[in-house]
Amino acid sequence: MSINKVKYPEQIEKAISEIEKLLTIDYKLTKRSVALLLLQKDEALLREIAQKEPSYEKILEVITETEKHFTEPISYIIASVRQETAFKVEREALKEEGSEKASITEILHKLTVNPITGIPIMLLILYYGVYKFVGVFGAGTLVDLIETFFEKNINPVVNQVTAQVIPWKVLQDLIANDYGIITLGIRYAVAIVLPVVTTFFLMFSILEDSGYLPRLSLLVDRAFKAIGLSGRAVIPMVLGFGCDTMATMVTRTLETNRERIIATLLLALAIPCSAQLGVILGLLSNNPGALLIWSGFMIFVFLLVGFLTAQLLPGKRAGFYMEIPPLRIPKVKNVLTKTYVRMKWYFIEILPLFILASVLIWLGKLTGLFDLIIRALEPVMLWLGLPKEAAQVFLFGFFRRDYGAAGMFDLYQRGILAGRQLVVAAITLTLFIPCIAQFSMMLKERGTKVTLAMTAFIFPFAFLMGYLVNFLLTALGVNF
Amino acid sequence: MDCHNCNRSCHHAGGRYRRRFGFFWQKAQKEMCEEKLLKFALVGSPNVGKSMLFNALTGAYVTVSNYPGTTVEIARGKTVIHGREYEVVDTPGMYSLLPITEEEKVARDLLLEEKPDLVVHVVDAKNLGRMLPLTYQLIEAGLPVLLAINMMDEAEQLGLAIDREKLERELGIPVVTMAAAQNVGIRELKERVAEYVNK
Repeated sequence: MSINKVKYPEQIEKAISEIEKLLTIDYKLTKRSVALLLLQKDEALLREIAQKEPSYEKILEVITETEKHFTEPISYIIASVRQETAFKVEREALKEEGSEKASITEILHKLTVNPITGIPIMLLILYYGVYKFVGVFGAGTLVDLIETFFEKNINPVVNQVTAQVIPWKVLQDLIANDYGIITLGIRYAVAIVLPVVTTFFLMFSILEDSGYLPRLSLLVDRAFKAIGLSGRAVIPMVLGFGCDTMATMVTRTLETNRERIIATLLLALAIPCSAQLGVILGLLSNNPGALLIWSGFMIFVFLLVGFLTAQLLPGKRAGFYMEIPPLRIPKVKNVLTKTYVRMKWYFIEILPLFILASVLIWLGKLTGLFDLIIRALEPVMLWLGLPKEAAQVFLFGFFRRDYGAAGMFDLYQRGILAGRQLVVAAITLTLFIPCIAQFSMMLKERGTKVTLAMTAFIFPFAFLMGYLVNFLLTALGVNF
Repeated sequence: MDCHNCNRSCHHAGGRYRRRFGFFWQKAQKEMCEEKLLKFALVGSPNVGKSMLFNALTGAYVTVSNYPGTTVEIARGKTVIHGREYEVVDTPGMYSLLPITEEEKVARDLLLEEKPDLVVHVVDAKNLGRMLPLTYQLIEAGLPVLLAINMMDEAEQLGLAIDREKLERELGIPVVTMAAAQNVGIRELKERVAEYVNK
């Protein structure tokens, strides 16, 4: 088979062969390809030849000389010649046999993308898919079921057995009682986080495989432009609702550094991860008003902080270019595999951390350090209008977002948190610093300086907003 | 074809010496085999099914999402064709050899630094014309390219048919049509990869 190349306009071909002659070292690419990339001003290659090629100046001369022959940039001409050749080949190899089948998906596509129909569709998906399925069924029904099972059948047995087997109270506390590895760590992981994460990932996989998410990007592109992001940034944002750590890594797909910084900050601040979201939905689902205030406030903070950072940060605004895959009916097998793999990954990752957290709490209690921190946090809690028990929840939140949220769920079930306090705690905890994993990913992707600056902003901001919400709700006499 | 033998000797050779000097034996053999392990890379624009194909080839599981640009790191796995092992590399999506985003840079660097024995350019059958410019760039770069036209099922639903042989003649490289999600064409792709690499 002879390999067929694209033929470029005469002037460009001439420049290519001139540059080819001037190149002396091995670039791991053909000289023709290097010449073409140089003509298109590829930065990495220009830097390389500046260092290594003796006739660097001469090559530059050829490039400027060639540019003079064209009114458009050379890169544009090269790209369009290639594209023309490609379309010609496509025409020859492609047989179209009339298409009517596409019409239904085409109509569906238009419905999801048009704001007039798209927004109600989005709200419907959010209501039934996220609120009803994850919030009410996952975080409500399922959690209740497993929690009750734990509290009736497992915890008392564990408490009794450890009490008989281990004579020392100190060691008993490590495994059982209020903060034990089994009675707290494993209970949180299995009874609270697992059902929430499972229902969420199931829903998420279905949405993902149907091709709906890129359409959501199109729909919100305009709103995102206002906060310095493009519709493209919807991908990490939506992924953030699954896991903020993973989403922080995916900000790499954004075009400009500016966009990456804004997206990372918003992920750390205003996007709750699946476990946190599920637990918060579960907490607030008995109180539609509270849920509305929480979500409204989150959207407000998201837009406000995004808008302000977009004003403050210098740099080029992002464009928007993205592939839109077709709408498909998800395959059951694929959805289940995906959900299973994510659950497994999640569970394997969090279980040791929950156990570690139990051990740390145990150590902290033993040494008195834990009480010290809690006592220091208590005034802050009272200042926020929260019961002082909430201090412990915030301390848990350092370990993992979901751990903190799960702790809050516990307080709620014991009847300690109620009404207005739920909203304030939910808001503060959502805004609050991300989990350790996300924090380290931020360090890796954005560097120490940017990460520390973000942290320095997020800490006081979260508490300030909590205070503000409590103040406003109290002043307006709102209660639930 | 020595590699074939090498692979075999890796798994079957043994005996007294091996038991006694097991560590050194294994190490030496391993180095020999790794040297000859052939490598092919999956490249292409985002959302053409590279990761799905990677899963189908290697049996490993990389999260596949139906929205573009979520593969941000390089995934590696192994596949066996005719009893011989090949390394398969999945790359983040790229539109051209002239990179714009960080992830595109990752894919280009891989092609240049690692020089795979074969570059499988995966494209979406529905958007063939828009994707061929990258094929040309890969050919221009002197890389050994195979064009894998994926999502044929969806193209057929749209009433599109592709004349594979004509395309092979026009481009001068091997072309395979497939639907990775349906497990269609995977075997043929493997055949053609082996054929190409052993040529």
